[in-house]
This record gives sequence, structure tokens and C-alpha cells, in this order.
Amino acid sequence: MKVAMIGWEYPPFKAGGLGTHCYGLTRSLADKNVKVDFYMPKTKHSAGNSGKKNLVIKEVGETEIFPYDRPEDKELAGQFFESVYRYNDLVVEKVKGNYDLIHCHDWLTMKAGVALKEKLGIPLVLSVHSTEYDRSGWICPNDWFINIEREGMEKADRIIAVSHFTKGVIVDKYGINPDKISVVHNAVYPIGEGEKQEIVLFLGRLTIQKGAEFFLRAAKKVLEYEPDSRFVVAGTGDMLPRLINQAVDMGISSKVIFTGLLTEEEVRHIYRISNVYVMPSVSEPFGITALEAVSAGTPTIASKTAGFSEAFQNCLRVDFWDTDEMANKIISLLRYDPLHKTLATEGKRELDLFTWDRVAEKTIDVYNRVM
Amino acid sequence: MTSICMYFEVHQPMRLNRFSVFNIGSDADAPNYFNNKLNHEIFEKVAKKCYLPTNNLLLNLINEFDGKFRISFSLTGTFVEYCERFMPSVIDSFKKLFATGAVDMIEETYFHSLSGLYDDLDEFEEQVMMHRQMIKRLFNYDPKIFRNTEAIYDNRIAKKIGEMGYKGIITEGTEKILGWRSPNYLYRPINSDIKVLLRNYSLSDDIGFRFSSRHWPGFPLTADKYAHWMSRCEGDLINLFIDYETFGEHQWTETGIFDFLSHLPNEALKHEQLDFVTVSEAVDRYQPVGEIDVPWAISWADADRDVSTWLGNDMQFACFNELKDIGKKLKKRGDEELLNVWRRLQTSDHLYYVSTKGLEDGNVHAYFSHYDSPYDGFINYMNVLQDLKQKIS
Repeated sequence: MKVAMIGWEYPPFKAGGLGTHCYGLTRSLADKNVKVDFYMPKTKHSAGNSGKKNLVIKEVGETEIFPYDRPEDKELAGQFFESVYRYNDLVVEKVKGNYDLIHCHDWLTMKAGVALKEKLGIPLVLSVHSTEYDRSGWICPNDWFINIEREGMEKADRIIAVSHFTKGVIVDKYGINPDKISVVHNAVYPIGEGEKQEIVLFLGRLTIQKGAEFFLRAAKKVLEYEPDSRFVVAGTGDMLPRLINQAVDMGISSKVIFTGLLTEEEVRHIYRISNVYVMPSVSEPFGITALEAVSAGTPTIASKTAGFSEAFQNCLRVDFWDTDEMANKIISLLRYDPLHKTLATEGKRELDLFTWDRVAEKTIDVYNRVM
Repeated sequence: MTSICMYFEVHQPMRLNRFSVFNIGSDADAPNYFNNKLNHEIFEKVAKKCYLPTNNLLLNLINEFDGKFRISFSLTGTFVEYCERFMPSVIDSFKKLFATGAVDMIEETYFHSLSGLYDDLDEFEEQVMMHRQMIKRLFNYDPKIFRNTEAIYDNRIAKKIGEMGYKGIITEGTEKILGWRSPNYLYRPINSDIKVLLRNYSLSDDIGFRFSSRHWPGFPLTADKYAHWMSRCEGDLINLFIDYETFGEHQWTETGIFDFLSHLPNEALKHEQLDFVTVSEAVDRYQPVGEIDVPWAISWADADRDVSTWLGNDMQFACFNELKDIGKKLKKRGDEELLNVWRRLQTSDHLYYVSTKGLEDGNVHAYFSHYDSPYDGFINYMNVLQDLKQKIS
């Protein structure tokens, strides 16, 4: 079996779960004897040789801007959309050869996927890692993106959703037949445990979607009861200035550290030393970061609607807006060692079910259904 | 002759209110830990689906077979309190059943607690005496047979029950204690002169768990098929010990569970070698055939048949130890109201909700829990215990 996979990002350079997913998926597919040509935009940091016989990384064009979300800056946004179009056109031109199917990911690559399906006359599989509704936090979603997404979903022979939550959105909001959608939950390469400190961690893009403001509100409440606790907001995004102001206004800025963008190694380090991970996303198709935290022995409090919460048993769940309950759970994790220990131990045990091998197997099942 | 000994456990726990860390120490003296609204709702629902219709059916069957159909019950103290508060007609229907003379009542701890596992057994004994007084008050009867919470049993408990004057005790007929031997006989504890009734878990679970399972080769289970299986059993006794809520609650009416029960006496009595006995009659009629030695506690819960259902992870041990510590302090202090609150918190269900056991058992746990996860169960229960601890310090 030979697959032309159209991606947008690939480690070491990545902005979101899409890049992590493509990395894990393509490597495990290659190990299972599926030949994958992975197409992605050329960057300054070359993804280089995959080190696997069945996996070839093909960088096309020259694209410099990598925002996962829509940039707020109008000029930057203009350049961004243009580069997405340019990349999609280039891919359609470059993809040649004997492929059995096309597999593309999210709106960033959908136009190319649809065009290639028509050009080569082979089936199209589409993975949905997030929709415009998620990225906008369900506030004024933009029709321009929704139309691209709907066209891709309609033309795809089969859709892979990262959660039942996302499958529901695809059915309800895009009017797609549920029988065409398979749910494949994400996976993680385990990070490993470190020396824990009294740190409560938020890690993610600082956008409306990820809900960092709710994290800060919970922090304020926790600090009233546990004044020695510390909070870290790791990552960057258009909300950063607003969040810093929020922390100052609430009088907790001395207890909250904003790290800005972290390197891969720094991300692993902060997971390892944190005591609690909070993922208060307003909308979260899956949330691989939660799996990463668990794999570092860090118990996780996740938004109830996150795909992670539906798939993973050994975690705590909250409504993202219920910051009192979020604080209740953070304090409980800080105070009650047996809770912390059981969540950490049972969580790591459950992780055995979340391997990229399993993701690859389920993806191959999907491939077999369209061929 | 092989006697069928059917016995039903009837229990409802006092579920807790949502209680966050911010509630700890906030409310001065009158703690409101229990969720009256939820408890009332669930009790009424189960009463209508199970207790009232099943009691009615059993009463008719006893009358129809002129006392040849005989059964036994254990009613927990928390269950009886619900009856008296929310629906006295339920207790009246149990009184009617008892008045037929074909029904026996079994003793247990009033609060369906794990007090049998505490370092010393004084609290256990007090809770058994409370139950004794309750049964005396309701039925003017002194039970002869004891069954500990979820059939938790070890040598120490058996010895204590012997000393307290009971004739028999009930536990699980697990291979762990029987080895090659059959549960269809009475046994004797190694350190006491009482008789042990052992649950035939295979036949009991056919009704309790497998009845509506389409993957089970025995499906669909009919009364004549089941009676036929029993007629081929060797031994003195077939002990069918079942959660009462099986009828109409765990197994819905639509599964045919009531039809099954209504035909069972007739189908069983068609076999000449089968009859029905109560637990007291079983102990009077038969003699032990051997000894059992149980140094580590067993129970009828989950696949493990031990106490790991309640004491299987660090969170459960932490709550259990906290509960015991609070008790020691409370007893020195002698505050009756808080003592009563503490006892209600001992109901084993609170720890059951905190179990993290996986797979099949975990699914059963989730079915019975009103919490989102065992972790939520822990946080809530532990917060309540911390509040109670503050109140007595």
C-alpha cells in the first residue's frame, strides 16, 4: 500500500497536535509496511531524512509563516492565507506517482486533497484534528474556513475524527453522514517522570480555544487556600498580553510565570517537574498535551468536552467555565497524596492503550475500507 | 433431598452531597453531608421498580404454595430508615411477608459497614446490636444467622459471631477457601462452633449477573431450565444469595426476571428431591461436613472475591484510616449526633465508589456510582471526612 499524505507541519517544527499526530502516525505506518510519502511545506528547519525505508518526507515550496490559528494581525493573516493557497497548489502539482490513496489533514491541506482525488482518480481520506468551530472557541466561526472544511468532508471517501466529540461536530455542523466517519483517538510517545515541584501547569497556544483565562481564575481561588502553590502558563499566542494583564489585575502575578514559547526539551522538562496539569479548553477535539502530561506522571484535570476526557479514564474532568470546581480539584491534588499517586500510577498504566501503533492499525483499517 | 436456600440482600446507602474543599470548616455545627434529594429519588425509584412489586410477588407465591416456598432477607439499617422516612408501605410489605412464617430475617451491621475489618471489634459489635434492636422492633424477632457486609468473612469475624450467640454465618463459596470442596454443604469455622453457609456463586450469578446477557450460553434462562440444573446438583443445600435489586432494577422487568421468579417455585417443586428452606432451617436441618480456615478476609464482591473492592488502592486506604482515626477521637468525646454522622459515613458504598478496578468490575462500579469517576468519589468523601475531623478537634 502506498499513501500520499499531505501535511502542514512535522517535528521538530510544529505548532499543534496535527504535527505530533502526523509524526507518530507516519512512523508507525512505515513500520507496518505502508509506504508513505509525506508532503509538507519547506521550512528553514528541515525535517530531513525520516530514517525509515518506507517513509519519505517531501518538502515543497517555501512557506515561512506557521500560525496554526488565524493570526489576528490583518497583514500577517493575508500572507498566511496566501501561503496556504500557494502550498496547496504546489502540492497538487508535485504529487505524482503510483499512490493507492490520498490522506490529508484539516482545512490547511483539504483543497489539495480534493484536487488530487480528482486528478489521480484515487480515494481521499481526511483526518479532522480540529474544525473552525473549535479554533474560534464557538465565537463567530468564519464561513470562509467552514466552506473549505465542508467541501473537503463532502468529497472525502472517509473521514477520521480524533474523538466522538469531533465526529458529533462534523455530523451536526457540517451535515456529514455519520457512517462515513471513523473515530481514532490520539496517542503519545511517553515522556517519563521527573522530580515533582509544587507547580500547577497550563501548556498550550494562548488562544480563546485553549481557555487559559479560566486557568488564571482558578489559580486565584487556589492561592487563597494554598498560598505556597505556583502556576506556570507555558506557550504563546495572541492572548498573551491580555492574560498577563489579567494576572496583574487579580494580584497573583508574583505566583504565575509566563514562559513564552518553549523548545521541545523545555516542554518535556516542565511536564516532568509539574505536579498538576490543567487543560481548560473551551473546545478541544482531542488534546494530546493531556496524554503528554500523564506520560510524565502528572495528573491531569481536563475540560469535560475534550476528546481526551471521553477516551481516558484516569483523569479529573471539569466544565471549563466552572473555575470553583477546577480550584477544588487542583487543591485536592495538592493536598491529598493518595489521590495524586493513584492518578499518576493508574494513568501511566492506561497509557499503554494510547500508542501510535494502535493509531496506525486503526488508520490502516480505514484505508482498507476505501480501497 | 437438596434444599434451596434463597436469600436477598436489601440495601440502600446514604449518598453524599457535593462537598468541595471550600466547604471544609465552613459550616459550624450542623453538618449536612447527605444528599436527601438524590437519596429520596433513588429510593422511590427502586421501591417502585423492585421492592414493592417483588415483595408482592413473593407474598403471592408463599400463599400459593402454602409455605413450601421459603425465603430469607437481610435489611440494612440505612434501608429501613429510608422506608420509614419516605415510604412506610415498603416496611409494611416486609412485615406481611414475615408474618407468613415462611420468611427469615438475617442479622448484619446496621450501617452495612466495614467495621468487621477494624483493629478491634467493639464498633462492629455495637453496629450488630443496633441492627438486632431494629429487627426486634420491626418484627419482634431475634435473627439466628449473621451475614456481614457483602459477605466479608474471616476467622476473626466468625469467632466473634460465635461468641455473640449466632448459630450460623454466611459467606462466599469461593475456591479460595474450598479448594476442591463443594459449596453445597455446611462447614464449620476452624475456631468456632457455628455453621457456615456458602453462596453457590455460579447459580446465584446466573440470576444476578447473567440473566439478561445474550452472550451467555444459558440465555434465555427459564425457570424450568434453572430448576433442572438445580435438580442435578449434589449436596445438602443450594445457597442462592442475591442482591434484591436484581429484580426490576439491575434486571429490568422487560428482561423477564419477574416471570422467571414467579415460575421458579413451581418448577423447582416439580422435582421430588428439591425443597425450599430459610437460612435458620438450613442450619437446623444439616450438619457441617468440614472446616474452613480463612485468615484473610473474603467477600462476594467483584471477580477477586476479597476486600480489594473497598480497600484496593491508596485513596481507599487513606479514607479508611481517616475514618478509623476520627472514630477513636469521637468515642472519647461522646457526641451522639456526630457519632451517628460518623457511622453513616462508614457505609461501605462510600469506599466502593472510590474503587479504580478496571475492565468488567469497573463497569459494574460505574453503574452503581453517582460520581463521574472514582477520583471524584475520593475528593468528595475525603473532603467530608476532613470537615468532620475539624469539627471534633
